[in-house]
Amino acid sequence: MIWLTWRQFRTQALIGLAALLLLAGYLLLLGLDVHRAHQDVLAHCAGRDCAGPLGAFADRYRLRADLLGYLLLVLPAVLGVFCGAPLIAREFEAGTHRLVWNQSITRRRWLAVKLTVVAGGCTLAVAFAALLLGWATGPVLAVEGARFEPVAFASHGLAPVACTAFASVLGATLGLHLRRTVPAMAATLAVFTVLQLALPAFVRPHYQAPERTRVQLTAPIVANLSKIGTYGDIGGLRVPGGPWVIDTSAILDEAGAPVGHTDWFQDCMDHSSLTDLPRCLADHRIHVEITQQPAARYWTFQAVESALFALLTAATVILAVRRLRTRAD
Amino acid sequence: MVTAVLETTGLTKRYGRRTALADVELSIPAGRVVGLVGPNGAGKSTLMQLACGLIGPTSGRIRVHGAEPGTRPDHLARVGYVAQDTPVYPDLTVAEHLRLGARLNPRWDRALAERRLARAELDPRQKAGRLSGGQRAQLALTVAAAKRPDLLILDEPAAALDPLSRHAFLDHLMESVTELGATAVLSSHALPDVARVCDHLVLLARGRVHLHDDIEPLIARHARVTGRAADLDALPPDVTVLARTDPPDGPATALVRTERPLPADRRWAVTAPDLEELVLAHLARAARPGSPTAPTTRPETRR
Repeated sequence: MIWLTWRQFRTQALIGLAALLLLAGYLLLLGLDVHRAHQDVLAHCAGRDCAGPLGAFADRYRLRADLLGYLLLVLPAVLGVFCGAPLIAREFEAGTHRLVWNQSITRRRWLAVKLTVVAGGCTLAVAFAALLLGWATGPVLAVEGARFEPVAFASHGLAPVACTAFASVLGATLGLHLRRTVPAMAATLAVFTVLQLALPAFVRPHYQAPERTRVQLTAPIVANLSKIGTYGDIGGLRVPGGPWVIDTSAILDEAGAPVGHTDWFQDCMDHSSLTDLPRCLADHRIHVEITQQPAARYWTFQAVESALFALLTAATVILAVRRLRTRAD
Repeated sequence: MVTAVLETTGLTKRYGRRTALADVELSIPAGRVVGLVGPNGAGKSTLMQLACGLIGPTSGRIRVHGAEPGTRPDHLARVGYVAQDTPVYPDLTVAEHLRLGARLNPRWDRALAERRLARAELDPRQKAGRLSGGQRAQLALTVAAAKRPDLLILDEPAAALDPLSRHAFLDHLMESVTELGATAVLSSHALPDVARVCDHLVLLARGRVHLHDDIEPLIARHARVTGRAADLDALPPDVTVLARTDPPDGPATALVRTERPLPADRRWAVTAPDLEELVLAHLARAARPGSPTAPTTRPETRR
C-alpha cells in the first residue's frame, strides 16, 4: 500500500521536492547573508547605541523576510489543496476506489497509509522549510521584535508544521466526503482561509489571559507608529522587547486623561513636520494603556496553537474514518 | 447439502426513498457460474456491491463465505471484483497494476497474472489510461483473477465491448474461472452471453428475485407449446402460461411452466424453449401491473 500511495503521489512529490530544494537553497544563501550582516552591525556598534544601525539592518532585509513569511503562511493551504484534496477525491472520480477497496486490505488501512504518507510528507517538507526560515530571518525578526505579528507567528516555529498536517488531512477528508477533486480543493481553500483569518483575530489572543500595561511613548516609539489619529488614537504600536500588542488605548497624559482634544496636541498635529512630530508629542510625557501578551509567552503560544491544530487534525481523521465505516458508495 | 458461497436473507437496500433491492433471498452454491440478469435499474449492481462489501445493506443480511463481506483482509482476499466500466489507474502501467495486485494480496498468483496478460496480448509497459475498453476489461479481470479468489464477481464487464472483444473476454473469463475452480457471478444484459457461459440463473426485476435456479433444470421445467388457439386454452390445469402469442393467421404459441413434462398430445407440439425467451417471458410477467410478486420469489428452488 505504501508503494501504491507513493506511486500515485510521485509526480506531485517530485515537483514539491524540487521546489523545496530551490527554496532551501535560497534560504541558505539569504541566511548566511543575514547572519554575516548582523554580526557586522553588532561588531561595529559594540559599546555604543546599536538601535540605529540595527534598524537599518532590519530595514534592508524586511521585505524579503516578510515575503518569505507570507510564502510559509500560504504553503500549508497550497499543500492541502494540491496534495490533500485530490488524494481521495481522484479515486472516486476515476472509480478506482472500487478497484483498490477490493484488494486484500481493509479500507481503514488504505486510508491510514494514504494519510500518513501524504500528510506526513507535506508536514516534513514544511517543518524543514520553517526551520530554515526561522534560522535565516531570525535576526531580522529579533531586531524588529515582531515574532508575534500574525504572519510571522504563523510562518515560524511549530505553528506552520502543525497547520500543514491539518490542511492536508482536511483536504483528504473533504475529498472523501465530496468525492470530486475541484469542489474538494475549493472547500479546503475556503475552510483554511476562514481559519487563518479567524485564528489570529479571535482565538489566539485568548490562549493565556492578556496583561494590561502602560507604555511610555518616547520619540522613537512614536516615530514607528503606523497611524496617529486626529484625536489621539494610534495604530501599529511596537513595544521594545516584542510583546504582542492586542489592543491600545488612545494617547493619555500623565494623569491618565485622553489628550486628543487638548490644544497642545492639536498644535503638534497641525504645526510640526513629520520629523518633528514625535519629539513634539513625546515632550508632553504621554503614554498609552495596552493589552498585551508578553514576548516570553511566544513558545507557549506556539505550543498551544500547534496542539490546537493537532486536535483539529485528529477530529478530521475521525470524520474521515466514520465516513468510510458507513460505506456509502 | 452444498455449502452456499453467497447467502442473503431479507436483504434490502434503499437509496433515499428509492428501493434498489427488496427482501432478497438468495443462496448461491459453490462452483457455479451464475448469470445475474434483469433490466436496467433492477438492482444487479447493488447486489454485487453488497456482495463484495462496497456498500452495506439497509436491512437484512448478506453473508459471503459465511462472513460479512469486505470487512477483514483474509476475507477480502477470497473475493475478486470487477466493477462496472472496469476502473483502472490511468497513470499506472499494465505491469504496475500487477505490482499493485502482488503487494496488496497475499494469495497473488504472479504466474497466472502473466499468463493472462500474454493471452490477452497486453503490453506490460503500456499506461492503463491508453488501453482500449476491451484491453482495460482484460486487465481488470487479470488483477481480480490473480488474487486467486474463491468467488469472482463481475459487474457487466463486457457491456462496453464490441462483439469480437466480448467474445474474447468471455473466453478468458471462463478459462480463469476454470483455472481457479472458483464460483463466478456475472451480471449482463446480453442473454446470449449468459446462455453461453453460465450454468445458474438469477433473474432480478425491480429489486426482487424472480428466478433463481440452475439453468438446465430451469429449461426442463418450461416448454414452448404450439397449436391452435382453442386447443391451447385447454392445457392441463397444473400448467402455468407465462406468455402467449396469438397471431391472426397461423398457430398460437405459449411459453408455459410445468412441474412435469407435458404429455405428448396430437393437438399441440412441445419444444424446449431457449433461455432468452424464457427470461423475456418472466420479465414481461414481472413488469405486468398487479402481477403476484411474492409467490414468484424463488418459485423454482423447490425441489
